[in-house]
Amino acid sequence: MLITFFFILFAGLAIGCAVALVAQRNPLYSAISLIGVFLSLSSLYLMLSAPFIAAVQVIVYAGAIMVLVVFVIMLLNVTAERRRRQRLAFLAPLAALLAAILIGEVIFILNAVSVNPPVVSSEVGLTTSIGVGLFTKYLLPFEITSILLLMALVGAMTLARRTPILAAVGRLSADASSDMPEAEVKE
Amino acid sequence: MNLDNPVIHTVLVFVGITIAFLAIMLLVAFTVLAERRVLGFIQGRLGPNRVGYGGILQPFADFIKTMMKEDLVPDQSTRFVFFLAPTVAIITAIMTIIVYPFGPVVNLPFLGSTPLRIAEFDVALLYVLGITSVGVYGIALAGWSSNNKYSLMGGLRSSAQLISYEIALGLALVGVVLMSGTLNIYKIVQQQSGWFGLNWNIFYQPVGFIVYLIAAIAETNRVPFDLPEAETELVAGFHTEYSSIKFLLFFNAEYLNMITVSMLATSLFLGGWNGPGVSVFPLLGLVYFTAKILFFIFLYIWLRGTLPRFRFDQLMNFGWKFLMPLALLNIFLTATVEAYWSDIRGLFR
Repeated sequence: MLITFFFILFAGLAIGCAVALVAQRNPLYSAISLIGVFLSLSSLYLMLSAPFIAAVQVIVYAGAIMVLVVFVIMLLNVTAERRRRQRLAFLAPLAALLAAILIGEVIFILNAVSVNPPVVSSEVGLTTSIGVGLFTKYLLPFEITSILLLMALVGAMTLARRTPILAAVGRLSADASSDMPEAEVKE
Repeated sequence: MNLDNPVIHTVLVFVGITIAFLAIMLLVAFTVLAERRVLGFIQGRLGPNRVGYGGILQPFADFIKTMMKEDLVPDQSTRFVFFLAPTVAIITAIMTIIVYPFGPVVNLPFLGSTPLRIAEFDVALLYVLGITSVGVYGIALAGWSSNNKYSLMGGLRSSAQLISYEIALGLALVGVVLMSGTLNIYKIVQQQSGWFGLNWNIFYQPVGFIVYLIAAIAETNRVPFDLPEAETELVAGFHTEYSSIKFLLFFNAEYLNMITVSMLATSLFLGGWNGPGVSVFPLLGLVYFTAKILFFIFLYIWLRGTLPRFRFDQLMNFGWKFLMPLALLNIFLTATVEAYWSDIRGLFR
């Protein structure tokens, strides 16, 4: 009973925030709506007895990624989006049709297929079991994902530099007395 | 009384939240007073001592005065965000108090043996970090929505500072987590009850404690890291345009953050409610817990009376190039010692 109430509350909040995210003209309002979506989703994870995922959802998405998005919006002073002449207007009925088909499919599946949800013990979502799983059974995917993140990090740093890294290293080793790279002087 | 009954449990949790809320709000009020009196003492003056005995009613007088002020909204501000920002700041500041255990299991009249805590769950530490990281929005949005360049500068500085020092803060806590093998703050506190209640984590994690303390002071925007509201440069930083109750919310949020950060330091490093004699008189745990928090609050005020402010580039360099590598080194050492502890003990046998 209480669980159903909270599910409807947070699911409704998530959907409402998602609609607001798309409908808002002001980019900062959209960002705030997205934070709302993440927080509601994390509450839903919590109700599905996955506390670790819920906490990580808040820390990574709401706490880290969205802070950067808000930061960029604030720094660039992005103004509210203006309504433009719709160039792809013929796509609107197509979108409605596709949405109708999707909803029809969902209703059909819900009616046709009856699944007994598997009984999952509440131990699965705990930090210990996730940690053990990550470092034993799923070690390889875990490591590959971290290397992917490392590559993204290195790529971002390479793109952010004005001078190519190899050239900068060569110049530094050639002229060790100058401790200020040329790129910073130019700025 | 049966504590496992869900209705009774829920009622008790609400009662606990109410008591903790009131106690901490009172603590905030008297921290403000203590700050002014102790700063006065440090600077060789008296401080407020006229309202009530020794100025004890001064925070309430200030509260009423600030409430009576006109509630101003800047002309060109983004109204909704302007209202949202102080709310976010105060809610995130107060939400973390539920995870800290205030004392051990005590015998209360009518209730029988009751643990003095509000909630205990598996990811308590991650919950604290998550809520803290959401707290950045309060300050950043306040700075942006005020439509004032000083506010915006303050908000941006503060967001950058919080994001940078959050990393060092989180990494400093990893050492304790590695040692205790759990993220549950109640269990971490329980594990420190050896040695007549003096088996505190600070003796195993001195580096982690120092890194945490510095990062925590930066997280709460206090001297010497109070650049977001450096009054000589930025008027008052992100809350320049806020008046009346909205200013009070920010003001309270800052002091609440000080207290919750002290609570986390107490629980993880200083043994929480543990101390000599707690096993005999469990209520003594409450006294120890409060005393440790008061020590941290005094430390905050002491630092404010002593240290000058950092420059912004010094702040960033210090956070990224000194604190973060130090915390990483601490994790590396802790993990190594944890993994090879039996071998290391064998060497000295």
